[in-house]
Amino acid sequence: MGFEKFGRFGYVSQTKINPLLSYLEKGQIAATKCKKCGRTYFPPRADCLDDRHSGIEWVVLDGKSNLVTFTKVFFAPPAFQPETPYLLGLAELSNGLRVFAPISASVDEKQLKPGTELNLKVAKGARDNLFYWLE
Amino acid sequence: MGRVAIIGVGHSKFGKRSDASLRELAFEAYSSALDDADIESSRIDGSVVCSATHYDKQRSPAGVVAEYLGLNPQPTFNIEAACASSAVGLRTAWALVSSKLHDVITVVGVQKMTELSNEEIQELMGRAGDVMWESPFGTTMPAYYAMYATAHMAKYGTTEEQMALVPVKNRKYGSKNPNAMFQKPITIEEVLKSRPVSAPLKLFDCCANADGAACLIIANAEKARKLTDRSVWVAGLGLASSPMSLAGRKGPMTSFEVTKNAAKAAYQMARISPNDVDVAEVHDSFSITEILNYEDLGFAKPGGGTRLLEKGETELGGKIPVNIDGGLISKGHPVGATGASQLFALAKQLRGEAGSTQVDGAKIGLAQNIGGIGMYSAVTILRA
Repeated sequence: MGFEKFGRFGYVSQTKINPLLSYLEKGQIAATKCKKCGRTYFPPRADCLDDRHSGIEWVVLDGKSNLVTFTKVFFAPPAFQPETPYLLGLAELSNGLRVFAPISASVDEKQLKPGTELNLKVAKGARDNLFYWLE
Repeated sequence: MGRVAIIGVGHSKFGKRSDASLRELAFEAYSSALDDADIESSRIDGSVVCSATHYDKQRSPAGVVAEYLGLNPQPTFNIEAACASSAVGLRTAWALVSSKLHDVITVVGVQKMTELSNEEIQELMGRAGDVMWESPFGTTMPAYYAMYATAHMAKYGTTEEQMALVPVKNRKYGSKNPNAMFQKPITIEEVLKSRPVSAPLKLFDCCANADGAACLIIANAEKARKLTDRSVWVAGLGLASSPMSLAGRKGPMTSFEVTKNAAKAAYQMARISPNDVDVAEVHDSFSITEILNYEDLGFAKPGGGTRLLEKGETELGGKIPVNIDGGLISKGHPVGATGASQLFALAKQLRGEAGSTQVDGAKIGLAQNIGGIGMYSAVTILRA
């Protein structure tokens, strides 16, 4: 399987950032970092915008995050309909970068508001797919 | 006076047009624009066809549209900027005629959406965001805008009742627009009781997919003066971009930087301020979008958009009437046609031909058109 293994239902199969899947398999969430200037990217990028020829390395994230905003989806694309309704969130990680991720159904949605502290954790789907979510 | 004029505008009926194909919808708008400009088709030396082509069965629709309109062998091509396609089409046409590469060109915004099954539309809608990092989690168009609504509610205390004032206002004016898909007013209660789509947005907070076309005839100043004395002048053009991914955007998600940037460019080019605008068309894809747009365009201060609605300032007779043709919420949203439809409404206003919704003495009009989930935003300022 290629990168389509990423997500609840992945669309893109071919990319340079496939190593993310190996980290997810180990229960880790990783970002990329420029070998020269140290700029960090999440979601990971294969290419640094500032030092275009320097190459990147992988760094593991702690997953601590604060919710920026969220929604509860009732009307979903076909592949996601069995799971409706579900929560989607945008959160800010401890390194200041942002992540778009589902919010685990185990989270009490009444407690959710901008600023709520959540953790970005690895999740496994039923089709052997891998992703991360906020819990 | 400016360098580029809109010398004619045309509009098809929007809605579920099971009676017409893409090319026939384009013809309705084009034919009425030629009548409006009172010129022959032979005057048109190129066509800019604007549509979000993934919704059309026809691939590369400019080919078939130019053929059906009788515009071969003149140049034709597609412009795609999602929901902002035909605003970007006007920008393109502006460059083509002001450079004198063309004299008179047509911008045809067209979309045939309802031919797709609901399943197909939902699948496409699911890929409206960043397909690598966000779509794999089940994103939808309403979900993205709902996340802005959640943030706006938390920061400014905006309520669902206040958001409902947008569809209530726009549907009231939609009832006066014969081209609109929905011509029946609705109440706050009906909006609040409609089924949830992506919380806090409900069905009547959302615009609908539709079929339709709208058309502009664009000429450089020299030709425009020869052909008509009813020109409306393009005074300002602003276009900006924003990261497509939500995670790539900064700030509290209570405004669209992309619209602020586009507005700044347009105001600067037209040498006006928000207070000078007599009538506006803003992208009300969702109720919350119209509120954010008031703030991003400078009609209200941050967080003050709902106050503008409550005081009736964006109604006909208010300080700055907005979407008094019914907006996307009444007209429906045939993606590629929406930008040209907004400019159609402004041209009618600035020529004093808007009938029962005419803003007295309107001299300056502003149209704002967001593309997709906010990766593009176009602001266009027209003068009588």
